[in-house]
Amino acid sequence: MEFLGAIEQLAPVRALRVSFYIYPLVNAAHIVAIGCLLTSVILMDLRILGFLASQERRPFLKLMRRIGVRAFCAALITGLLLFSVRASEYVFNPAFQLKLLLIALAGLNLLGLRIFASEQDGMPKERSAGFFAAASMLLWLGVLVCGRFIGFL
Amino acid sequence: MRMPFSPRRLLGPSIALGLAIAHPAFAHHGWSWTADETSELEGTITKIYVGNPHATLDVDVNGESWRVELAPPSQTMRAGFSEDTAKPGAHVTAIGNRSLDQNERRMKAVRIIIDGKTYDVYPNRVPSN
Repeated sequence: MEFLGAIEQLAPVRALRVSFYIYPLVNAAHIVAIGCLLTSVILMDLRILGFLASQERRPFLKLMRRIGVRAFCAALITGLLLFSVRASEYVFNPAFQLKLLLIALAGLNLLGLRIFASEQDGMPKERSAGFFAAASMLLWLGVLVCGRFIGFL
Repeated sequence: MRMPFSPRRLLGPSIALGLAIAHPAFAHHGWSWTADETSELEGTITKIYVGNPHATLDVDVNGESWRVELAPPSQTMRAGFSEDTAKPGAHVTAIGNRSLDQNERRMKAVRIIIDGKTYDVYPNRVPSN
């Protein structure tokens, strides 16, 4: 808690807290990042499940993964900024807590995909990756809904 | 070439699902979660926050902790109220709209009065009487 209180007192965080333009712009950037992340994740998962067959599997999955990783980094950075202005309050927000849990589960799910259902080169296998792809879609949609709920609790 | 499964088909139901879940819990943003009539709340400030996404006061009312929501920080400060304006322990009268949920101790204030000074955080919503 002291650590979170210290974050709130950092000079850039204090400026962000009362800013008129910057905070809504960071908020908008967070939405862009989440939009890119969810789009790439869902398209990637659909392709793993066998949909979008017109797209050549390997290059398509590679491209979606690259976009997804970058979008996640952008979402993480902008999300930390939004969190920082009132960290000691958000940490008790049930929607925020559930969101973090779902992100952790999505991370474990990705790890499971890599360990149990991927080829040596990291490409998901044709058959066994389906479960992880379906779980991924559900988890990330859950993350999105939880994130939206933070402001309403 | 027509795709056998369009992600758009997935998007529609997921948005509908999100809205369906979200509906009973709409709070904070806007006024849809508040009662139509304005009411008054008096108590002692325990915590002051003036920042994004909007400012809040925590107010002790006869031993009950209320959350009084103000405007976004720029608008709240334009009304003359900043984080240094008052200190915890100060007496406050808040005029605004309470939550429709009777069990929720939350009010969206349009005007607060501290030490005889009035701060209209939503001036166009202050009831004229």
